[in-house]
Amino acid sequence: MPRNPWRSRLLLAGLLAFTLAHGATPLTNQRVRQLGEMLHCMCGCNSSVTSCNMINCHFADPVRHKLLTLVEQGASDKDIFAEMETAYGKAILRQPPSEGFYLMGWVMPFAGLAAGLGVIVLIIRFYLGRRPAVAAAGAAPEDSPELARYKERIEKDLANLDS
Amino acid sequence: METLGALSILLAFCLAIYSVLGSVVGALRHKPYLTKSAERAVYGIFFLLTVASGILVYALLTSDFRLAYVAARSNRAMPAVYKFAAWWGGQEGSLLLWSWLLSFYSAIVVFTNRRKLRDMMPWVLTVLMVTQVFFLTLNAFVEPPFQVLAVGKGVTAVADGQGLNPLLQYWTMAIHPPTLYLGYVGFIVPFAFAFGSLMTRQPGDAWIHTTRRWSLITWGFQSIGILLGAGWAYAVLGWGGYWGWDPVENASLLPWITATAFLHSVMMQEKKGMMKVWNMVLISATFFLCIFGTFLTRSGIVSSVHAFAQSSLGNWFVGFLAIGMTITTVLILRRLDYLRSEAHLESVLSRESSFLFNNLILLASCFAVLWGTMFPVITEAIMGEKVTVGAPFFNKVNIPIGLFLLFLTGVGPLIAWRRSSWESLKRAFLWPTISFAVTVAALVAFGVRHFYALVSLGLCAFVTCTIVMEFWKGSRAIAIKNKLNMLMAAIELTHRNTRRYGGYLVHMGIVLMFIGFTGAAFNRDTTREVKLGDDFQLGPYQFHVKEVADGDNPNYIWQHAVIGVSKGGTFLQDLMPERRVYKASEQPTSEVAIRRRLNEDVYLNFAGMSQTEADRAIIQVYLFPLVTWIWIGFVVLMGGTLVCLIPSKVKYSYPKTEVVGAYAKEPVAQ
Repeated sequence: MPRNPWRSRLLLAGLLAFTLAHGATPLTNQRVRQLGEMLHCMCGCNSSVTSCNMINCHFADPVRHKLLTLVEQGASDKDIFAEMETAYGKAILRQPPSEGFYLMGWVMPFAGLAAGLGVIVLIIRFYLGRRPAVAAAGAAPEDSPELARYKERIEKDLANLDS
Repeated sequence: METLGALSILLAFCLAIYSVLGSVVGALRHKPYLTKSAERAVYGIFFLLTVASGILVYALLTSDFRLAYVAARSNRAMPAVYKFAAWWGGQEGSLLLWSWLLSFYSAIVVFTNRRKLRDMMPWVLTVLMVTQVFFLTLNAFVEPPFQVLAVGKGVTAVADGQGLNPLLQYWTMAIHPPTLYLGYVGFIVPFAFAFGSLMTRQPGDAWIHTTRRWSLITWGFQSIGILLGAGWAYAVLGWGGYWGWDPVENASLLPWITATAFLHSVMMQEKKGMMKVWNMVLISATFFLCIFGTFLTRSGIVSSVHAFAQSSLGNWFVGFLAIGMTITTVLILRRLDYLRSEAHLESVLSRESSFLFNNLILLASCFAVLWGTMFPVITEAIMGEKVTVGAPFFNKVNIPIGLFLLFLTGVGPLIAWRRSSWESLKRAFLWPTISFAVTVAALVAFGVRHFYALVSLGLCAFVTCTIVMEFWKGSRAIAIKNKLNMLMAAIELTHRNTRRYGGYLVHMGIVLMFIGFTGAAFNRDTTREVKLGDDFQLGPYQFHVKEVADGDNPNYIWQHAVIGVSKGGTFLQDLMPERRVYKASEQPTSEVAIRRRLNEDVYLNFAGMSQTEADRAIIQVYLFPLVTWIWIGFVVLMGGTLVCLIPSKVKYSYPKTEVVGAYAKEPVAQ
């Protein structure tokens, strides 16, 4: 038990009863939650406005209330995001806008994938090109029946027991 | 005591410099005694850093608040386990842990190779000790852990400390950082051997054989660290997410991805003598991404909930990365002649090709994560405005890449080494494809319409079928030949080739984790203001808010709601989500209550009492379908990793591809 119960009671009163719920009320609105997921909480938590777990967050709480007001006014998602961008800058968005330089954000991962694919094709062509020249000439001499049998056996073994 | 601690770090720093010089001079001048002396210095460093770490831990456990670090990271009321965990709870202590782990690993490397690889070891040691010098520089001069609080000229102490961040006072957080560090630090070892191999112009695979287990164990630790972090986020942060794509989370994922690519492509080198340059690049990338991850955590370059306070450490890391990457790149380029492939690719339809694609997709994923993580820095540098991207961006980019990777996980075992014919491919793909189609059709019939969920669960069935087929084929042959039942035959099969079948178990773990990830497509949640004694519903569950209670203990004060959970009128259990306010830091946290089941988790968060009506509790309820499979998949993954570490009963030798028959007269181009 605490040495000073009155101090603890005061802390309880001060920190729990008074402060806990602030900012949670707008989250009872489903659309506020959805919109908040697309907005970045800039308190340093790196969560979304919906997910920020800080009680009395100086950033998430006012934004949630603002979102609720805009939702109740019937604003569209597009208008709400525009309003948020005007108020807090692009930093509040959790995904890059699809415009100008920011488009690079979306394009680059897939451009990287495409470039990698190109490299793979080059590597495969390089390795395939190193096969013995006879094969490329298409004039491989016939194997003896014995050798052909061995080769067939090797193929089977490799197919079944490779690793 | 603190003087002894600081002196130990300083002496370790001097010994590390000596070890670097001794190794380099010993190798260049062929002085084996000097090399040996440099190796023995490693034991000295380990001893000294153990002393320093021991002193810091002792100070934390005994609440020696004369030390600034102890005063800032612990308080008297904290349980002993968290006082111990405060060792890595702050910048200075965690850097000391880094150095201590590196000294521990270095000592093991020196001891296990004391009679082996004598030409390579000086260079291995050089890499280990250069890294050690770097971290000890930070420990000794930039972020020393033994600074004392002083007023005027006298050392003083505060009455009580500020305590460890309450979010970190959770059991997985007590072990998550060290396991992650065991991974981060461990990847230095395979890189050091790769570097040694390049320096000594060794064309062979000695470094790979030596470090195979290191790489796997380190990868295992990194996996444990990442999953413990995910488990912590799920249970502590109060929103039910296990992965937030936070920059620091991403930093731990990046080397894990390249290491995964390395563990796959290294098989190409062992079995075919191919991709030697690529493996060098991958292991180097893994090491530098580990350093980069540490840099991200400590420099404050990107904002993160996990990051340490902003400091001037960033420039040190940038310098180390720049120098290290330049030297490594130049060395690889100068040794290309020694890294030539010993074999050729016979067909595009071969397992070799599937490994290439597997590597491509893994690296594409790595690049996408790195790009998104660094996007704020790039936009700020170019556009003057920081645009931070979050989960919506990462999910959109990485989900298709991840699904393709899952597909390749299934495809790999179906394709033979060297080449596959269309006929054999058709046979091999038949049942997995049927599994995919049946699963998707069944899900559609049950009303599932989410595209990614359908593809993901279909692919999970596809991959599972390939794995089961692999075990079935081999076990059946052994069961018939040795007259064993199928279970014993499967165990025998696995024991004969632990790497192969352990690898399949790891794949099975990944499949189970994907099932868990896919469940997120069907998450449901609601936030309600509920009067005490009232009910509300989400999905098939009814929730009855019974009461709200509060209390306190020396460490924190708490308030919790008691909520009865029922389903279809049947009472299941009471759950008690809690809010805490830690006294030392006056920081609040939420302790969620979770009812974990295989089909779905019921997850309750108590957000507090309503502002407007005092008798109303604000309750957040989440239903997370299938999430438990992530943790089950992780256990299977770790089990598979352990199986891979068991020596195989049968020693397989993998001769490099040889050109036989009529082609034998044709020289293979070099």
